[in-house]
Amino acid sequence: MTSPASSRSAAPGRSGFLRSLYDVFAQVMATSHGSFGVIILTILTVTAIFAPIIAPYDPIALTDDSLAPPSWTYLFGTDNLGHDIFSMVVYGARSSLIVGLSTALASLLLGGVMGMLAGYYRGVFETVLMRVAELFQTLPAIIIVLFLVSLFGSSFWLLLAAVALAIWPLQARLVYGQFIRLREADYVAAAIVAGLPVRHVILREMLPNAMQPIIVQVALDASIAILIEAALGYLGISDPNMVSWGQLLYEAQNFMSEAWWMSIFPGAAICLAIVGLNMVADGLNEAADPKSGSASRNFHD
Amino acid sequence: MTRLILLRLVHGVPLLLAVIIVCFLMLQMIPGDPVQAMVGDFPVTQAFRDSIEAKYRLNDPILTQLGSYLLNFAQGDFGFSFQNQMPVLDLILERLPRTILLAVAGFVVAIPVGLVVGLIAGLSPSRRADRIWTTLTLIAFAIPTFWLGQLLVMMFALKLDWFPTQGIGPFVSRAHGVDWLLERLHYLALPVAVFVVHEGARAARIMRASVQETLSQGYIVNARMKGLTRGEIIRKHLLRNSVLPVVTTSGYAFASTLGGTVLIESVFTWPGLGLLLVDAVRARDNMTVVGVVVVAAAMVIVVNLLVDVIYALTDPRVRSAR
Repeated sequence: MTSPASSRSAAPGRSGFLRSLYDVFAQVMATSHGSFGVIILTILTVTAIFAPIIAPYDPIALTDDSLAPPSWTYLFGTDNLGHDIFSMVVYGARSSLIVGLSTALASLLLGGVMGMLAGYYRGVFETVLMRVAELFQTLPAIIIVLFLVSLFGSSFWLLLAAVALAIWPLQARLVYGQFIRLREADYVAAAIVAGLPVRHVILREMLPNAMQPIIVQVALDASIAILIEAALGYLGISDPNMVSWGQLLYEAQNFMSEAWWMSIFPGAAICLAIVGLNMVADGLNEAADPKSGSASRNFHD
Repeated sequence: MTRLILLRLVHGVPLLLAVIIVCFLMLQMIPGDPVQAMVGDFPVTQAFRDSIEAKYRLNDPILTQLGSYLLNFAQGDFGFSFQNQMPVLDLILERLPRTILLAVAGFVVAIPVGLVVGLIAGLSPSRRADRIWTTLTLIAFAIPTFWLGQLLVMMFALKLDWFPTQGIGPFVSRAHGVDWLLERLHYLALPVAVFVVHEGARAARIMRASVQETLSQGYIVNARMKGLTRGEIIRKHLLRNSVLPVVTTSGYAFASTLGGTVLIESVFTWPGLGLLLVDAVRARDNMTVVGVVVVAAAMVIVVNLLVDVIYALTDPRVRSAR
């Protein structure tokens, strides 16, 4: 990690944390994947926030037409009961983004704290974290979530908790790895010798320099969470009181031969969200390693 | 080498035990009647209730309960599925080979495709070509498998009628030998296509990065200076050194696929372990759910062990390590 960013933020000022956040953002915007991803996510966020203004119909109200193909009246067509699919897709952005954002932040909080403690203090913290992470990794996240949902039910809040519980070890392992590495850095050793409080060393000296990979993981966590929520909806197991993209696909299953629009648009929306998040992650990685790709050009020279 | 395998084995057993113990503790946390928590929302006769209470020692202290719970698993008794009216283990053993067939078929086709795409992308001389490949594989990997499956069914099964929409084969099959295999392939085609897009894209992304990493190594430059042609370098140095990361990550992906391709099996109503799990979750058939979870964990642990061994065999540094 000798990217310009890390050397720049190696001596963070008073607002080291915020500045490193801004640095990361500037770098993402400098890559084509990153800026494209940010645009996609902005569009989705705006859609979610202003859903009542954008959606032409109430997503749970019935129109007079059932199974109407896409037209100017119903942009994405209507389903078997007469719901306007465009309006449902617009409102669906809300549940997906809430799931993605809140579980990624919950993982960041839980995984971040666990990873920092394990990476800084090692010892017992390290052993416990590694064993627990290993336990979680014996099962795919979707199976963990299915297991929890089967036992405790699938209301929206339980679903959020189940997804967060299934994915937090990813972030914990990452933060742990970063902190193990940073603990060896000279300026961290210097800060400890200088007698700065642990809180200062961790939050001001180490955290800003681990921001980039942590934010990549936040984006990836959010995309995994959105995918799991959509998958549960598709399986017909998520909260029936929420309008969600996955559930629209579940309902589309019975009308696959007569109403392609019931399947195309909600699926494309899920795809868009996941592509957007992965592009941001890719852009961040590219910014951290700008040399990538140059070797193949030399090979052909 | 044997030491390594033994070490991993010794490591795997407590891990599986821990999975079972966590399942047990989770069942304890369900509020209400413990018998219902175990069997799910099915009506239970008093006689059955008594037998469950005796078998799992539900009226004894929690440690005794845990002991009898583990003992039952160790004896191969995974409980009884109310939904299917048969022992959970029989149910799992019936479903498991089908999931293995699906996963093997999917990966056998998907990984070579991914390797080739990744190699082309990694070797692409222009920044623009590289970028296009990266974007394409990123999108391919981001497409949800269940949506892609639905689209394929709509296009190739319902509209064009080339392939069946679902299932593993016809109810009554009179085909033998090669015909039987072809019949099976007919049903495998669409699910395998989903694997090609998803797992192929994963493999391609890793292969691309790995190829570029290898290209920047000194021995490639050295080989160029010695006057080897590009083709020779690719065959002799590049491939061998780039494939390893793909093998390991694909191995781990394969492990979790065996643990239940929940989504692909659901789209194509492929009656494997994943579909069993989903049906059990829907019916709250908790004994089956726990059974599948434990078997899935065991599969992941075993396959990961195998991947580690293969990795060790291909890497002389690891091979000779004590």
